Amino acid sequence: MKYLFIILSIILLLTAPFFGQIEINLFNINDPAFMEYKLFWDLRLPRIIVAFFTGALLGLSGLIFQSLFRNPMSTPFTLGVASGATLGSAFAIVFGFVTLVPVFGFFGALLTIAILFSITSKIKGYDTTSLLLVGIALSFFYSAALMILFYLSSQSQSYEIVRFTMGSLDVVGIRDTVPVIVVSILLLFISFKYKKEIKMLLTSYDNAFLKGVEVRKINTILLVSVSVAIGVAVSITGPIGFVGLIIPHILKTIYKKSSDKLLLATFFYSGIFLVGCDLIARNLGTSSDVPIGVITSFLGAPFFIYLIIRREKI
Amino acid sequence: MLKIKRFSNAILSNITVHLKKDENLILLGSNGAGKSTLAKVACGIIDSDRVELFGEKLEHLGAKKRAEFINYIPPKLEIFDDYISLREYLELSRLYSSLNVDEAISLLNLDALADKPCKTLSSGEQQLTMLASSILHNAKLTIFDEPTANLDPSKTLQVYEMLKSDVIKNRIIITHDLNLAHKLGYKILYMQEGEVEFFDENKKFFEASNLEKLFGSSIKHIDGYFVVNL
Repeated sequence: MKYLFIILSIILLLTAPFFGQIEINLFNINDPAFMEYKLFWDLRLPRIIVAFFTGALLGLSGLIFQSLFRNPMSTPFTLGVASGATLGSAFAIVFGFVTLVPVFGFFGALLTIAILFSITSKIKGYDTTSLLLVGIALSFFYSAALMILFYLSSQSQSYEIVRFTMGSLDVVGIRDTVPVIVVSILLLFISFKYKKEIKMLLTSYDNAFLKGVEVRKINTILLVSVSVAIGVAVSITGPIGFVGLIIPHILKTIYKKSSDKLLLATFFYSGIFLVGCDLIARNLGTSSDVPIGVITSFLGAPFFIYLIIRREKI
Repeated sequence: MLKIKRFSNAILSNITVHLKKDENLILLGSNGAGKSTLAKVACGIIDSDRVELFGEKLEHLGAKKRAEFINYIPPKLEIFDDYISLREYLELSRLYSSLNVDEAISLLNLDALADKPCKTLSSGEQQLTMLASSILHNAKLTIFDEPTANLDPSKTLQVYEMLKSDVIKNRIIITHDLNLAHKLGYKILYMQEGEVEFFDENKKFFEASNLEKLFGSSIKHIDGYFVVNL
């Protein structure tokens, strides 16, 4: 069963670039004379790469956040990091820095992290619940700020913002994929480096503390790493919700293993999930691609609810 | 070994405790007297600058050194993850013991449960799991918070034998069980409403006049055993 999943996933990865509004013939992709050459190397392949690594990063971030916050609902989106990035990007669109949208998005995320940590360091002690509450408050604040931007923007700008918030995997050229690849691999590396500490935190904070884990330091390292990675991803693809929530949960119910053992599986299957969703988005036969965020939620939500019901029954 | 100097917070007021080298302790007191709070202060879960362990200030100890010096076993196993098994939990706990995980599992007769997730264990089984974890952690000083609550008589006996034995180095035991306190014979600290009410030798604590003073008529002394006067 496990191997079947892996094999199916790899087949999906290898064949995904060849399906779309224009079918690609495998034998033409190595010959620059064909239009398919450009289509494959500049559009399809980069898109699959971005889909895979963005999905992987979102899923892994979700798993790490759920472990740190000991709350099955938490993802970087709950903390307002993604909303911060969205607001930054919308700001760039409205005030005419269109080419700098990713940069503004990234700084929106960074600013959010800075605000979160400066506020929580003032709260006595250091508990993740207050961090989560501050994050939720920030999200509401950002939504209000986004409304103001909508109010100030022209119609075409509004459309652009809405389109951004729906998420998009449009990238051109392999070079655009580099940032997502780098941050997602880095995040995977960091999570493996602190695997044992994560497992300790999965018991209880007190227990980790008593066993000699520097709880505060480890928490900060992981939170900042995830937030930076999310900042990069959101600035490129827009906020794509739900991956970080459902994939870790699905894997937990299937594998029945502690979260620290699911880091790699979450990374891989979240990537596959987004590639699959993108494949559907590109092949629904509509004149333009359906936004990826719509597909992830449409597919994910019912399946997720089904799993919850099934779990509660047993 | 352990020094707490005039510590106060919302629950505790002006607590001073001084344990000499190799001196074990029983911590008694009614519900809400502040026993667990005191334990958390001693092990650093609650911040303070009033604790000294083995001659060193607790707040200056590195995380590893602190773990080598002191451990606290809470009354209930707290675990977030649904799938961490008993064996995995104990693997995480093994720090300074010469015993390996399997030996600790056999020592407490937990073999049949080893691969079960901790969350599915009964409260008594979780209690034994935590005891095994304290043996594997093997800190110089371990505080047990009500180690015999939730246990059936045979397991209570098993835990008693373990607490008495030298698989555990120095220990502070929080309990409501006067017989356990009496049998172990350690020095006794009795707390009331956040203050130290009694801190002296075991024998003196169980003198009839002292018991009368602390418990009124709710405790009866029959044939060397202390029972609640129902």
